[in-house]
Amino acid sequence: MGLAVFQREAGGFPNTLIPLVSTLVFVLLSVVPLQIPGFAVVTPAFALMAVYHWTIYRPELLSPLAVFIAGLLLDFLNGTQYVGTSALSLLLVRSALLSQRTFFANRPFPMLWAGFLLTAVAVIAFEWALVSAFLRSAVGTRPFIFEAVLTVASFPVGSYVLTRLQRGFLVRA
Amino acid sequence: MRERSGAVDRLTAPVRAVAQRIAVPFLIVLSMMFIVLGKADVLLFNRLRVIVVDATAPVLQAVSQPAATVASGVRYVEDLFVVYRDNQRLREENGRLLQWQDAARRLQAENAELRKLTKFQAPADARYISAQVIANSGGAFARNVLVNIGLRDEVVRGQAAVTGEGLVGRVAEVGERASRILLLTDLNSHIPVMLDGSRERAVMAGDNSDQPRLLYLPATVPVKPGDRIVTAGSGGVFPPGLPVGVVASIDSGIVRIEPFAELARLEIVEVVDFGLGGVLPQSQIPPPRAAKGARVVDPADVTR
Repeated sequence: MGLAVFQREAGGFPNTLIPLVSTLVFVLLSVVPLQIPGFAVVTPAFALMAVYHWTIYRPELLSPLAVFIAGLLLDFLNGTQYVGTSALSLLLVRSALLSQRTFFANRPFPMLWAGFLLTAVAVIAFEWALVSAFLRSAVGTRPFIFEAVLTVASFPVGSYVLTRLQRGFLVRA
Repeated sequence: MRERSGAVDRLTAPVRAVAQRIAVPFLIVLSMMFIVLGKADVLLFNRLRVIVVDATAPVLQAVSQPAATVASGVRYVEDLFVVYRDNQRLREENGRLLQWQDAARRLQAENAELRKLTKFQAPADARYISAQVIANSGGAFARNVLVNIGLRDEVVRGQAAVTGEGLVGRVAEVGERASRILLLTDLNSHIPVMLDGSRERAVMAGDNSDQPRLLYLPATVPVKPGDRIVTAGSGGVFPPGLPVGVVASIDSGIVRIEPFAELARLEIVEVVDFGLGGVLPQSQIPPPRAAKGARVVDPADVTR
């Protein structure tokens, strides 16, 4: 409550900060080795969840530049030789979702999840196509399918955290 | 205050409207340019990567710590349930190992004697640096991990990374306090290996799947699942004989290797300085040629 008042006084500046910072933290989470005991290290694409969430609920607060920076950070951390691929795919996700966001906003969670499933599959298929194009041969699909399943399965966790952040810290527009 | 910002708003509104409209296409084009540039100017991007990794390493370590703690807590409870069975197994194993120890002692003594006779120059003792894995690219693009040691711990590019089980990969980038280890399974990993039994040479090449392939193994060489693979030592990067893995499958001429090290569950790795120094410094590496796509040929990978 106190924070909300402070934000209004300060002209709502932290409003843009929360989506940006949470997206960057989710980028870091995307590479942190999360151990599921008895199972391999998993690294779901948390960054994608953050971009998905903020684009649907508060697109004005997560600028294209923020998405671009988050994508670059992810590429640098991932150690891919193709710096820019994540930036590109996240920007495309943002653009594609913007036109559809009214369809998803304020819908029950399963709808949101289904939307994320489509998004994640599209993004990961896009990445697969990109990698295959770079290497000029179709690369194995197993790691990509695994990544997609993992990411979609962990969406409720990421979505929960982001929703809490949104409700807790953001001043209603 | 409010009025002034309103006036500023009115003035800057058209500019911002234009900026907003072109921002997305501009950034999309910029990302594409980065992708192309990244292929053309490997050095620049490597340097940028090291800077970013160095800057984020403390945060990554702080975040990965609780995750590791939770995992080890759960594993502790799990271990309690299997403690009896494990004990049984370990006792049997211990008996077997004692016999091996006996054999090893005898061979060691014999070896020392023979070395004296032949004036053999023993390689320098290896130096081990333990490191915690703080990030795992996990993505489908690349197979590598970040560890929390760097220049200040005297890590050098090209050094081998191992676990108790076997080879993990090699140091590909070194920052001040963090380094990137390219795993055996990465697309860019090409390691000279040999079959432990026949000493036949081959190259183990990653393809981002869990099991790297054996390349350039002469077709006449007999190979079967279960054969041990060790490093060949050619190329001067790894010493010969480091355990790598076993042949997992042979499918229409494609031999796949199951690495000994559990690459999907790395927590602690040892970076080993064998004093070989076979890798060229980053600045001497020519940019990759356009042919055959993405393979950045690293001297560390050079075979033959």
